[in-house]
Amino acid sequence: MSEKTALALKGVTKHFGGITVVDRVSFDIPAGARTALIGPNGAGKTTLFNLISGVYPVDSGSIVLAGASIENVPPRLRVRAGLARSFQNIRLMPHLSVIENVMLGQHVQVSGLASRLTPIAWQRRSKWKEIALSKLRDAGIDVDPDADVSTLSYGLRKRIEVVRALMSRPRLLMLDEPAAGLNSRETADLTAFLMSIAQGGPTLLVVEHDMSFVHELCERTIVLNFGRIIYDGPTRGVGDDDEVRAAYLGRRRVGMTGASPAA
Amino acid sequence: MNSDAAVRPGTISAPSVVGAVIVILALGGAFYGGESIVRQLVSGLTLGAIYMTVAVAFTLTIGVLNFLNFTIPTLFMLTGMIAWGLMAKGYVRFAGGWAWLAALAAGVAVAVVASLIVERFTFRYLKMRHGDATEHAIPLVSSLGFLLIFEHLVLLSLGSESERFAVPFNADIHVGYLVIGAAQVASSVLAVAVVAALSFVLRKSRIGRALRTIAENADTALLLGVETNKVVPVVFVLTGLLAGLAGALFTVNYGHVSPFMGDEVGTKAVAAMVIGGLGSIWGSIAGGLIVGVIETFSVYFFGGDSVQMVVWTILLAILIVRPQGLLGAAVSARSRL
Amino acid sequence: MSGYASGILAIFCINLIFAYGIFVPAAAGQINLGGAGFQAIGAYGAAWLSSVAMQPMWITIPAAMLIAGLVGFLISFPVLRMRGVYMVLATFAFGEAVAGFLLWTQFFGGAIGMVVPAHIELPAICGSAAAVTLFAFYLMATRFGMIARSINDDEAVATLMGVNARATQVAAFTIGGALAGLSGALYAHNFSFVEAQYFNSFLSIYILLFVLIGGVQTAWGPLVGTLFFTLLPEVLRIGGSWRYVVFGAAIVLMMAVRPQGIVTRLMADRLSLRRLLAKRRQAGAGA
Repeated sequence: MSEKTALALKGVTKHFGGITVVDRVSFDIPAGARTALIGPNGAGKTTLFNLISGVYPVDSGSIVLAGASIENVPPRLRVRAGLARSFQNIRLMPHLSVIENVMLGQHVQVSGLASRLTPIAWQRRSKWKEIALSKLRDAGIDVDPDADVSTLSYGLRKRIEVVRALMSRPRLLMLDEPAAGLNSRETADLTAFLMSIAQGGPTLLVVEHDMSFVHELCERTIVLNFGRIIYDGPTRGVGDDDEVRAAYLGRRRVGMTGASPAA
Repeated sequence: MNSDAAVRPGTISAPSVVGAVIVILALGGAFYGGESIVRQLVSGLTLGAIYMTVAVAFTLTIGVLNFLNFTIPTLFMLTGMIAWGLMAKGYVRFAGGWAWLAALAAGVAVAVVASLIVERFTFRYLKMRHGDATEHAIPLVSSLGFLLIFEHLVLLSLGSESERFAVPFNADIHVGYLVIGAAQVASSVLAVAVVAALSFVLRKSRIGRALRTIAENADTALLLGVETNKVVPVVFVLTGLLAGLAGALFTVNYGHVSPFMGDEVGTKAVAAMVIGGLGSIWGSIAGGLIVGVIETFSVYFFGGDSVQMVVWTILLAILIVRPQGLLGAAVSARSRL
Repeated sequence: MSGYASGILAIFCINLIFAYGIFVPAAAGQINLGGAGFQAIGAYGAAWLSSVAMQPMWITIPAAMLIAGLVGFLISFPVLRMRGVYMVLATFAFGEAVAGFLLWTQFFGGAIGMVVPAHIELPAICGSAAAVTLFAFYLMATRFGMIARSINDDEAVATLMGVNARATQVAAFTIGGALAGLSGALYAHNFSFVEAQYFNSFLSIYILLFVLIGGVQTAWGPLVGTLFFTLLPEVLRIGGSWRYVVFGAAIVLMMAVRPQGIVTRLMADRLSLRRLLAKRRQAGAGA
C-alpha cells in the first residue's frame, strides 16, 4: 500500500451492544479522488466516520491512512497523520468567535511552544489569522470574523466547519453532510469551492443525502445499508442498482434527492 | 443532565461486604478490645449511620441529576435548629411529652420544603443549554447561594450558639457486659431501614426505574417517556427527607444543635461518598459507616485534632489509587459524539 | 490612605490573584473547589521559610509559588482522571486534606498557627496583583488560552482537532496552583500570621463564586467578580448576616438568568477598544 492510496479500510467492524453497526467494511480510496458515502438513515455512515477519526475504537479490521496504520492511534494524533472532518450536527465552539473557530483548525500546523505563547489576540495582523481569513473569503463566507457563531445561519456555520477542517491541510477530508440546509446557490458555491480545493489537494470522502450535489462532485459512490456496503462504483450507476433501490425505497428509482420522489 | 456513573442500587455482593465488615469489626472488637472498644464501635456505627444517610442523599442527587447539592448539609442543620427553635419558643407544648418528636417532625418538614425551594430556583431554569464543561457547575453554584441564604437566615433568627436539645428518655439496653443507649440503637436501625427501603424502591418501583433511567441518560429518559418534570422533584423531596432524618437522629443522639452542625457532617458525608464509591448507594452506606468508625477511633486513640487529617488523607489516597472508591464503577471520562 | 481602606485594598489584591488562580483551570473547563488548599500551601510555605529558615521575601514568595505549582502539577494527574461533578469532589477533598494536615501537624504550629516575621507593604501587593492580571490577559490572548477555551466548550471535538487536552489541563492546573500559592504567600507576609482554620472550604467556595459570577470566558471575569463581591457589601452598607443573605440571593439570581457570568467573550468584544475605534472610523467615513 503506497501513498497513492489515501485511505484503505479492511474488514472494519463495530458492535454496539448486540447490534452490528458497521459490518466488515472494506474499500480503498486513491489519493485525490472524490468519493461519496451514502445510505439510508442509520446505515452507519457517521459511525464509520467516527471509527476512522478515532472517536470509537474498531472492534476488528484495519484503517490505513496514506500508508500508515491508524486504527490504534489516539484520535488527536490522527489529525497529525492528515485526517480532518466536519460533523453532521454542527460542532463549532459556541464561545469562540468565527475566526477563532477556524484558527483552532490550524492547531496541528502550528508547532512549537513559542507560537502557542504568542498573544495572537493582540495582533491585528498575523500570519495565521491572514491564512484563516483568506480561506474564509475563498469559501465565500463574508461575515465579521469576531462574530458569535451562534448568531449565524445554519448554512454559514456548516461552511465555516468545512473551512475549519481545511486549516489542518489534510490529506483526507471527511465531510459529514456539508450541503445539508444549504439553498441551491449555496450548494453550487460549495461544490465549486470543494472542486477547487480538491485540485492537487485533499482527497474527499463525503457523506451526503443530496444526490445532485453528489453527482456533481463525486465520481464514485459507496452505499451503506445496515452497516454493510451494498454498492461501490460510479455515481451514475447508483440509481440503477437493484439493491440500492430496495434499500431506500422498495422498487422506486432513486431520485435526485435520494429520498422518496414526490407522488 | 447526564452522569458518568449511574446510581446503582447495588449487586447482591455489596450489602454482604458491608455486613461482613461490620461483623468482623464487631467480633474482633469484642474478642480483642474489650468493653470500651466495643462501645467505641457502637458509637462509631451510630455516627456512621448518620453520615451514611447524608451521603446517600448526596449520591442520589449526583447520580440522578449530576448535581452536587451543597444545600444538603444545610437541610440537616435546618431540621435540628428549627426543632430546637420550636421547643424553645413553646410552639410544640401541645404535644406534651412528645413535644420533642413533634418538633423534629416539623424540622424534617421544613427541610423538605426548603429542598423544594432549591429545586424551583436551580433546576427549573436549566432548560437552556449553557453548553460547556462548566455547565454542571450551574446548579452547584446555585446551591452554594442557597447555603448562604439558609445558614444566615438561621443565624439571624435563632442565634449562633450551640443549644441543648433535651430528649426525655434515656433507656439503656444491656447486652452481656455492654451498655448501649436505646437512642443509638433506634437511630442506627432507623437509618439502615430507611436507606434499605430506598434501595428497594429504586430497584422495584416505577419511580425508582424512572430515576435510574434519568441517571443513565437524561435525553434517553425523555425519549422513553419518563416525565422528568414530575420525577425530578421526587429527588428533592427524598433529599429533604434523608437530610432531615439524619439531622433529627444527630439531634437525638448528641443532644445539641448549632447553626454550624451541618458543615462538619457535610464534609464527612462527602468523604464517605468518595471512600465508599461515587455513584453507588451501597457504597455510600459502607463509606458512611467506615467514616463514622474511623472518626470515633481516631478521637479515641489520637485525639480530636487528628480526625480531619486522618479521614481526608485516607480519602485522598483512595482518590489517587482507586478513584471509584470501594464499590463504585470505574468513572471514566466518556465523550459523546 | 486610611488604615481601613488600605486593608480593603490589600485583601482585594490578594483575592484577585487567588481568583486568577482559580480562573485559569476554570477557563479550560475544570472547577477547582479546593483553592484554599493551594493558598494554604503558599501561605504556610512562605511562613515557614520566613520564620524557621529565616529567608528574605524575595526568596520565600517565589519559592512558595513554586511549591504550590508543583503540588498543583502532581495532584492534577489523579484529579483529571475524573470529569464533571466527580472531579470537583476530588478537588474539594484535596482542599480539606491540606487543611486537615496543617491543622494536625505540629511542624507548622498545628492549631496555633505560625507567625510570619517579614512584612510586605501595600505597593508590592498591588504591583503583584497588577502583574498577575496582565499575565492572565496575556495568557488568554495566546493560542494556549484559545485552546483552553475550546476544551471547555467541547473537549471531544478539540481533541479531534489535534489538541492535547490532558496536557493543557495539567498546565492550567499547575499555573492555577502557583497563582493561588502566590496569593497565600502575600497573605502570610501581609497579615504576619497564618492559621489553618482560615483556609477552609468556605474560602474555596467564595473564591470560586467570584470567578464563576464574573465569567470564565475572558480574563475580565475574575476582575469583575472580585470587584463585585468586595465592593457590594460596602455599597449596600449592609452588615452582618444580612450581607450574606443578599450575596446568596444574588448568586441564585445570577445562575438563573445569566449563568455564563457577567462578562462573556461576546460582551468583551462588543465593548472592546477595537470595536469602538472601528465604529468611529465607520461613522467618520459615512459623514
